[in-house]
Amino acid sequence: MTHQGTDLEVVEPKGEVEAEQVALPPAEAVDQIPATAGVQVHPGPRQYVLIGIVLVVITAFEVAASYLEGDVNSNLIILFLGVAAAVKFFLVCSWYMHMKQDAPFFRRVFLVGLVGATIVYGIALTTFAATLLK
Amino acid sequence: MAQAVVATTEHGAVAPADAHGTHATNTGVSNAKLGIWLFLSSEALFFGAFIATYFLYRGRDAQFLKGPKPSDMFNIPFTSVTSFILLMSSLTMVLALAAIQRGDHRQLRVWLLATALFGLTFIGGQLFEFTEFYRGGLKLSTNMFGTTFFVLTGIHGAHVTMGIVWLLVLWGRSSGGHLPQAKSEAVEIAGLYWHFVDIVWIFIFTAIYLIPQH
Repeated sequence: MTHQGTDLEVVEPKGEVEAEQVALPPAEAVDQIPATAGVQVHPGPRQYVLIGIVLVVITAFEVAASYLEGDVNSNLIILFLGVAAAVKFFLVCSWYMHMKQDAPFFRRVFLVGLVGATIVYGIALTTFAATLLK
Repeated sequence: MAQAVVATTEHGAVAPADAHGTHATNTGVSNAKLGIWLFLSSEALFFGAFIATYFLYRGRDAQFLKGPKPSDMFNIPFTSVTSFILLMSSLTMVLALAAIQRGDHRQLRVWLLATALFGLTFIGGQLFEFTEFYRGGLKLSTNMFGTTFFVLTGIHGAHVTMGIVWLLVLWGRSSGGHLPQAKSEAVEIAGLYWHFVDIVWIFIFTAIYLIPQH
């Protein structure tokens, strides 16, 4: 069995998933659902290139900002660099790693590590930094 | 505009059609993809430890600045170019995935090879930088800056090297006709690893090279 327009073979789910499968609408009804409702659409090459250009531009601004040391308050530079790195991280994760389109479960699994690292090392830094400053 | 269509459900819990040729699982999501995301999650903790250690000693410990200082050693324009190359490798990697998802195997091999070459260029740049630092008197045991810098960037470089090997294996499989469109998930998983290595460098580059040294 294939879904109309996708040429993709339907794999019958097993185990717990079967209960959910019972509630699915008939195949004719599924075919009328808009593609965005049940089909994961990855961005095309053009969007990938656009994101690449944005990443390069942000990096150029970052490098330029690092040369402003002495002329601009260093805390402002650090704030800008932190935000820029976060924006680049978000762009790569959501577009290149397809976090926006993939199953949210994967996103949650990754966030556990990220948030865990932030908490653990945040505590470590605040604890040991104080010791080193003495 | 060309768009790669991959069938899955809205929340990914049930996959009535799987473009990656994977089997239905109890979780409803691909085990291989779940595995790589778990691995990347653990890698976030792994790299976090080294980045935190760098910040812990950065400019605070007298040991950190005994000998060559970061400002004496860094060549920002050079590292900016290698960072740009690594960023571009993420673009070529995702173009390789788009190519296999539309069944264009020739383009897949071109982009895989381009990604591996960009990665090799980055590693070449890192080795050049390490050599320059060594000649400038900065070794692993010179001071805490040397220790934290070489360990953090060295481990990242090892990850990039592993990624290059992975990409070349995929390229070889594709060249031998052993990487059909139905197995595009193999490229997607390698891509996830590669992009992760890229985002780790985004933070390393900012944290070590760009943030002003007090």
